[in-house]
Amino acid sequence: MIAVRDLEKEYHVGEHVIHALRGITLAIDATEFVTVVGPSGSGKSTFMHIIGCLDRPTRGDYVLNGRDVSQLPGDELARVRNETIGFVFQGFNLLARTTALENVELPLLYTRAGALSGAERRERARHALAVVGLSDREDHHPNQLSGGQQQRVAIARALVNTPRLLLADEPTGNLDTATSQEVMDVFARLREEHGLTLVIITHERDIAAWGTRTIDFKDGHVVLDRTHEQAAPV
Amino acid sequence: MTIRILTRLRALHPSIDIALKALTRNRLQTVLTMLGIAVGVGTVLAMMAVGAGAQRSIEQQVRAAGLNQITVSAGNWKPKVEDSGAAVAHQGDAGDTLVLPIPELVPPLRRFELGFDDDVASTNGRDGVGDDVVRAIATGGSPDHRLPADDIALVRHPENDPMEKHDHPLAWQRLGDLEAGLGAAATLTFADAEAISQLDGVQYVACGVHANARVYNGEKRWFTRMHGTDLQLLDIKRTWTLTHGRFFTNAEQNAAEQVMVLGQVVAEKLFGPANPVGGFITLWNQPFRVVGVVTSASWVVRPAPGDDEFDAVYMPYTTTHRLLNLTKLNDITVTAASTGAVSEVSKRIAALLRQRHGIAETAPDDFTISTQATRAITTGGLPPNVASAIAGNVRELERVTLEQLAGTLERSSTTMRWLLTAVAAVSLLVGGIGIMNITLLSVTERTREIGLRLAVGARSRDIMRQFLIEAVAISLAGGVIGVVCGVIASATIASTLRWATVVSPGAVLVAFGVAAAVGVFFGWYPARRAAALDPIAALRYE
Repeated sequence: MIAVRDLEKEYHVGEHVIHALRGITLAIDATEFVTVVGPSGSGKSTFMHIIGCLDRPTRGDYVLNGRDVSQLPGDELARVRNETIGFVFQGFNLLARTTALENVELPLLYTRAGALSGAERRERARHALAVVGLSDREDHHPNQLSGGQQQRVAIARALVNTPRLLLADEPTGNLDTATSQEVMDVFARLREEHGLTLVIITHERDIAAWGTRTIDFKDGHVVLDRTHEQAAPV
Repeated sequence: MTIRILTRLRALHPSIDIALKALTRNRLQTVLTMLGIAVGVGTVLAMMAVGAGAQRSIEQQVRAAGLNQITVSAGNWKPKVEDSGAAVAHQGDAGDTLVLPIPELVPPLRRFELGFDDDVASTNGRDGVGDDVVRAIATGGSPDHRLPADDIALVRHPENDPMEKHDHPLAWQRLGDLEAGLGAAATLTFADAEAISQLDGVQYVACGVHANARVYNGEKRWFTRMHGTDLQLLDIKRTWTLTHGRFFTNAEQNAAEQVMVLGQVVAEKLFGPANPVGGFITLWNQPFRVVGVVTSASWVVRPAPGDDEFDAVYMPYTTTHRLLNLTKLNDITVTAASTGAVSEVSKRIAALLRQRHGIAETAPDDFTISTQATRAITTGGLPPNVASAIAGNVRELERVTLEQLAGTLERSSTTMRWLLTAVAAVSLLVGGIGIMNITLLSVTERTREIGLRLAVGARSRDIMRQFLIEAVAISLAGGVIGVVCGVIASATIASTLRWATVVSPGAVLVAFGVAAAVGVFFGWYPARRAAALDPIAALRYE
């Protein structure tokens, strides 16, 4: 699914050069549930942006689904993001004053393979909301939903275009423990039912334990990469 | 309300949907920005309305000034005998010693024409001319109306006052005198006028008999033009307006009453500022009752001494005929129903008159037809025969001269248009900056949203389009308000400033186009800024 080799990323801040990634080489297979951990500034977010096609590496290769996407032009990257990747963010990033259903429809507005009719978009968004168990909240605005519900709407939005890869950046960062469990449960279920590949960034060890593999980042390097049994806590 | 109309467009495209939703979020700013554009668009529309109105009123003025007017004059004007006026004046003096012609020998009118040609050939030998003139006078120009030789001395003409000094030929000498120049030949009759009025494309027909006249109000006197005419003249002279009284009536015309309408200049000379209606004027030692005063309603033509139109007096042509003992007309004034048909109508009149006067194929006309267009050309220094050849052959000649006249007159409306253009430019600039401002605000406010959209697959161009649509939606909504304002402004200008204004569908389209262009122009920069955002930075923006 994902193969990166000697991935490097540099940022220029004034005269300083910040090396966010200093040569990452790893592969993630389809249906893996990877959690990425590490302290702030370790490069885990940068890594996720690059594999999410939001950013390009300074050096190195990135092959997604057998296709080198490391130097694709912007419009092509947008297409990859639209069709292959789903994002979930820490801050939910739902549009205010917009219903849950319309929020979920958002990625469908940018599909390339023929514009979808309004009714079709609505139908697919409804289905995605049903998957995360929010069929009864379609017409609610984000400020009428709890944090966990908002994040589930965001997950439904990430799912609506049936991506192969789901990326989540601190999806439980703004949630309490019980709600976090609830959200992680949704992720685990999706992986099982839809065969999704999951990459989740977190700095909470108990969240990291949900994965089948945990990758530790530090100073732009992978310091630990281990596969383990998914430990779904009770 | 405009917002509600626009929401109906939502279904058309997701980008429109997104843009409109964003606009309703900042409703007050959106409406205020629209107002800026509305002022600009309204001014553009008002400007175009004033321009078009000025154009149309100029055309109306020009047409009113007589571009659809055709004058049929008796006699045929030949350039080679231009100096015959002097000869005629001379013969006028010799008129006292008139040799009475024998009626049986009088050639009919057609022979006359041929004789006229002979005259041209014999300009060197002037002696023969006098005889022709004499014969012409005696016959009245037509075989069906000839005066018995003995009766000529018995004509008691009111102008034949021995105390009066005439420096022009007597009317009864002049009428029928083919040599006296345009309008002097007695070839046109009231029946001709009637026949012309039946032609296709003819709008109005007025008869005319003209003379110079000395008119008196007590001791005050004024030397002016006398026009014997008929009621339809008032329809033909569209720029005329009656300041006092009325034009003479059909009844007065039929009864050949001695009523008179004064031109503005004559009224001022004889009555000063007083209202002359009901007063009496003396002409040919006859009293005339003044029934009205005419003046010009056009800003193109102002009454002036010697202008032949307002420095003139008008009476029914029947009255002129009765007092001068005449039956012929000097000219017939015709208007074509459409300005474009002047040449065509002229040709029809010529054909009709040739037929009525029994003129042979090869013989010249015994009348002259002139139009504003032919006059414009013949006064341009061209030899008259060349000019008339051109006038006869150039298609749509009247349109050419119309445009020339309009071009000259248009300058008076240019100042107003420049002023409005400046106002429109400034308000569109201010409105455009307003649009740029609100769009930039919107871009900044929604940076995270832009980041999210990019993350879920929007391309830069999708983002760009979204913000451009927002900007254009504001400006077009402003355009709608502006068109309403512009129409109101045009109506206000028309009613308060008395400027003619015309709001055409084309002008409305242009106004909308300007609004859309402003939206695109001023929305471009913010939209490009939004499209150039880095998705990661945008997602993290607080």
